[in-house]
Amino acid sequence: MTGDAHAIALQEHSPVAGVAHDERGGISNPVLGMILFITSEVMFFAGLFAAYFNVRANAPAWPPIPPTVTEELAEHFHHLKAEPWLALALTVILVLSSFTCQFAIWAIRQNDRTGFIRNIAVTVILGIVFLIGQGYDYTQLGFGLADGVFGTTFYTLTGFHGAHVFGGVIMLSVLLYRGMAGQFSARHHDAVEATSIYWHFVDVVWIALFSTLYIL
Amino acid sequence: MTSRPRSRPAPGAIAIGLIVAALLLLVVIALVLRIDLVAGIRNAFDSLFPVRAATAQGQEIRNLYDIVFYFAAAIFLLVEGLIVWIVIRDRRKPGDNELPAQTHGNNLAEISWTLIPTVIVAFLFYISWQSLNKVEAVSLKPDLTVKAIAGQFQWQFVYLAEDGVTEAFTQVIPQGPGGGLSAPVGRNVLVLLESPDVIHAFYVPRFLYKRDVVPGQVNRFEFRLNEDEAGQTFGGQCAELCGIGHRTMTFEVNALGGAEFDTWLQEQIDKAPASPGPSGSAPPPAATLALVASGIVFDQATLSAPADEPFAIDLDNRDAGIPHDVAIRNDSGLVFNGQDVTGPGKVVDNVPPLAAGAYTFFCTFHANMTGTLTVQ
Amino acid sequence: MATTTLTPAASAYRSGLYEWLTTTDHKKIGILYIVNSFIFFFLAGVLALGVRAELAVPGLQLLTDEHLYNQLFTMHGTAMLFLFIIPMLAGFANYIVPLQIGAPDMAFPRINALSFWLLPLGGILMFSGFLTGGTAAAGWTGYPPLSEDRPGGLASSGPGMDLWLTGLILIGTASILGAVNFLVTIFKMRAPGMTLFRMPILVWTALVTAVLVLMATPVFTSALIMLFIDRNYGGHFFDPATGGNAILWQNVFWFYSHPAVYVMVLPAMGMVSEILPVFSRKPLFGYKAFIFATAGIGALGFSVWAHHMFTTGSVYLPFFSLMTFLIAVPTGVKMFNWIFTMWRGKLTLSTPLLFALGFLSMFLIGGINGAFSAAVPVDFALHDTYWVVAHLHYVLFGGSVFGVFAGVYYWFPKMTGRMLNETLGKVQFVLMFIGFNLTFFPMHVLGLQGMPRRIADYATTAGWNELNLAATIGGFLIAASTIPFLWNVFVSLRSGPIAGDDPWEGNTLEWATTSPPPPYNFDRLPEIRSERPLFDLRHGLTHPAAVLPVPTDPSVTSPPVVVVDEPVARPARARRTRKEP
Repeated sequence: MTGDAHAIALQEHSPVAGVAHDERGGISNPVLGMILFITSEVMFFAGLFAAYFNVRANAPAWPPIPPTVTEELAEHFHHLKAEPWLALALTVILVLSSFTCQFAIWAIRQNDRTGFIRNIAVTVILGIVFLIGQGYDYTQLGFGLADGVFGTTFYTLTGFHGAHVFGGVIMLSVLLYRGMAGQFSARHHDAVEATSIYWHFVDVVWIALFSTLYIL
Repeated sequence: MTSRPRSRPAPGAIAIGLIVAALLLLVVIALVLRIDLVAGIRNAFDSLFPVRAATAQGQEIRNLYDIVFYFAAAIFLLVEGLIVWIVIRDRRKPGDNELPAQTHGNNLAEISWTLIPTVIVAFLFYISWQSLNKVEAVSLKPDLTVKAIAGQFQWQFVYLAEDGVTEAFTQVIPQGPGGGLSAPVGRNVLVLLESPDVIHAFYVPRFLYKRDVVPGQVNRFEFRLNEDEAGQTFGGQCAELCGIGHRTMTFEVNALGGAEFDTWLQEQIDKAPASPGPSGSAPPPAATLALVASGIVFDQATLSAPADEPFAIDLDNRDAGIPHDVAIRNDSGLVFNGQDVTGPGKVVDNVPPLAAGAYTFFCTFHANMTGTLTVQ
Repeated sequence: MATTTLTPAASAYRSGLYEWLTTTDHKKIGILYIVNSFIFFFLAGVLALGVRAELAVPGLQLLTDEHLYNQLFTMHGTAMLFLFIIPMLAGFANYIVPLQIGAPDMAFPRINALSFWLLPLGGILMFSGFLTGGTAAAGWTGYPPLSEDRPGGLASSGPGMDLWLTGLILIGTASILGAVNFLVTIFKMRAPGMTLFRMPILVWTALVTAVLVLMATPVFTSALIMLFIDRNYGGHFFDPATGGNAILWQNVFWFYSHPAVYVMVLPAMGMVSEILPVFSRKPLFGYKAFIFATAGIGALGFSVWAHHMFTTGSVYLPFFSLMTFLIAVPTGVKMFNWIFTMWRGKLTLSTPLLFALGFLSMFLIGGINGAFSAAVPVDFALHDTYWVVAHLHYVLFGGSVFGVFAGVYYWFPKMTGRMLNETLGKVQFVLMFIGFNLTFFPMHVLGLQGMPRRIADYATTAGWNELNLAATIGGFLIAASTIPFLWNVFVSLRSGPIAGDDPWEGNTLEWATTSPPPPYNFDRLPEIRSERPLFDLRHGLTHPAAVLPVPTDPSVTSPPVVVVDEPVARPARARRTRKEP
């Protein structure tokens, strides 16, 4: 076939062939790309968190109390912090979903397609439950985005997180579809690795959000 | 491209020749046009420095600028000179295809030009920090406190009494005759900066100083005018883009001798246009003029009132979160200063009797809100 | 001389509109970036001419009030920064980086295309404000509360500001995706033998720039979104009356915008660092020091942002003053390294080198006048005056734009296969250099005399008349200097002399393939043993590619890459050489 097997071997190990998965070892391009993208997302949330800490540090009281806001609003803000049970439940759900996502990863690395599909499906469901729960929580809070800086920062932070969860659910659903169509194997599953890193990131951001907004 | 002589003059000779030729040319032009070269050069050199400082803090800043300038000039001449020298000296002779020595680097050089600039900037940082402390120092008890309020697009200055809280006198005319921020020389004047709307900046070039006026916080700084500036007037201008009237937001600072200032201030407090008295004590108004402020405009451009009789102005401010008021002036100066009201809200001003004539009414926060008041 | 025996791929550049609209080839995308950026350069330049025309003499001649004037300088700044200089440098990097590292394309070609097309979209969104009652008019810095939507019409009501915000959010996203692309490409797709410390400096500057874009731009996005929420959803982030903080915007904004200025200049420095060695016929002096200096500037660049806020009364002044002074040190290291690259070299004063020299001399001035503002009390006098306008234009125009033109003249032959005309290039350089200095040097003096920024008019009695007139004349001279440039480009595209693979005796890999390169960039790569692989090849220090394997499968499209098996003795490095007697 070819004259020089050595050159061919080198060709297979050339960097230009290392696009999908890198047989020399080391991270694959899509996974590296996702990690870098997540770095940028971390900085995005950092900007929002900076705004939150800034307005909170400047506020005479936090959550705000009259006369900065009305009695009613102060009551709702206080309730958010005093009784964060729904948010706690959502936290548990999201952490669980990170576990199932990781199980799915381990499964597909072992070429266990069934295990992979099951765990991804559960992850998608948990993600959807989180979104529904978040939406329900919004209706129960008693204050809106326009209700002083407390409302603005709360909804902006949780809202963008929710948008990221939504994006993650879409990505996981695509994985589910592709998995069911048999497109993943132990050798080829870069999209799963990348998506799982994204999903863990979404979980970590939620833990930071929950601690900051509801606890601290 | 062009044919060159075999032997080229030394690059140094070319450089010197060019410089001498340029200088000779300059001198010839100056002689022909009868330009005073010496004064011209001095002016040009002076233009590389800020305007003459009128305050102690400004002088401190000027001294710092001078030190930085001489370092900067030395570095500029050295480095730029090096570039020019190399370009002249190291041009490739046509036909010379030999490689020059392929020097990759020199660690000693790298260390030198890392350490030496570090020492220089450390020094510059140190002296600028020392300077900063002096410039920003605020005395425990300033001799005078003035609140400078910046609105869109007009300044007003509120002189505070000794207790630093009570408002003694409000200067609503920011410049011109009878206007401006009058301040005593040789005394510490504390300026408090407030804005009801957007970010502005209080900037007086002769102070070599500016400070932002930020809504929601009170910035402050102190200045002390040099004694020899008594009788001078300095221009000031808003230096932070604040909207479509930004270029018009000018003011003046009038430097007065100590005693002269005290007299002036007392005069202003005494003849301060009567603020509207408590409602019970004023005689009933002969007429009530209704004025609406909405969209940062008054709804009327002309008002009329009876002469020699007290009248009232009912101001309805419909601009949420924005303060308005009504003040009246004529050519001799301010005759009446009404109460501020932040919208939505109303206020009734009882204006004392005015002589017949033409007056201007205006909002002291917003220069465009103005109209004519005819008293007859 | 490293040449390949392929037929030139010039026909690729007569491809139709469809090819250009759907391409994922980094070379075409790079050219799209460059052309789009030049279009916005001219557009933003026209806006600047409007500003200068108004300021030429005192009195409002052209405008009845400041509303249009404020839009002019706002859109001039915004377009120049976000639609011209950042994407222009990204476009050059897009074209050159894969070639210089011996890769066939960027890591994610489709995302590369997306990153480009978001730019004209964002630009159109922002400029459409002119058709909807006015663009943003609060300066490119958009400080609230002026940029908020307030009743009364004295802030920023109307859709213009929202269009500005949306456009910038799209452009920022494009930038971030581009940064991811560059980083994966540089880390993962270098040809064998190209270690990190053998990469060309342009690739290093692209790397550091990408890190800055990745880390800083999202913070800007968050600020834009917060302002958008304030304006449209009743938010209170920046409204002091309801617990917000106007200075919060400035902190978040400048946290991005200061690293952004390094994004705007580092790739231009990278280009200059390619050009100086080639036209001095010597290697870059202090290659490693250069890399550390670049990385140092990138890192320090994140710590100085509040030096734009010295007069707000809300900043811990000494820290930011110190960091700002410190950043002069690595910049100085680079300046000396460039100068000593030329020292005892053999300089050919072609147009690329002239523009590179222009960069060096003008960026030096910009760096020096910036140091004045690092001294905080001096900044109290100079902030928000024309001194700052002088500073920013000396670094951005005198620096980056001259660097861009150096890059244009240097890489045009590679991109198009034809040389630009030298005489026209020198005419452009002289006119532009004179025009630039005539416009911006007087602004130092105007600032010292107290002329504030962003005013549509000034008092006749202020004494600023002559200098403003001089600056306006200079501005129009700059505009005139673009005419020989455009003429040069259009004529040379049609009938310029054929360039060949390597018209400049370059050092780096892009000159080892045809001009323009084939779609997959390289047929064969020379051996890579230093940061000047082509120089090594040309001077017999490395072997030319020895084996060209035949692909087993005709459908294999990845290009054959050849690595020479036997080790070659490392070329002796001349660390220190003495001048020959």
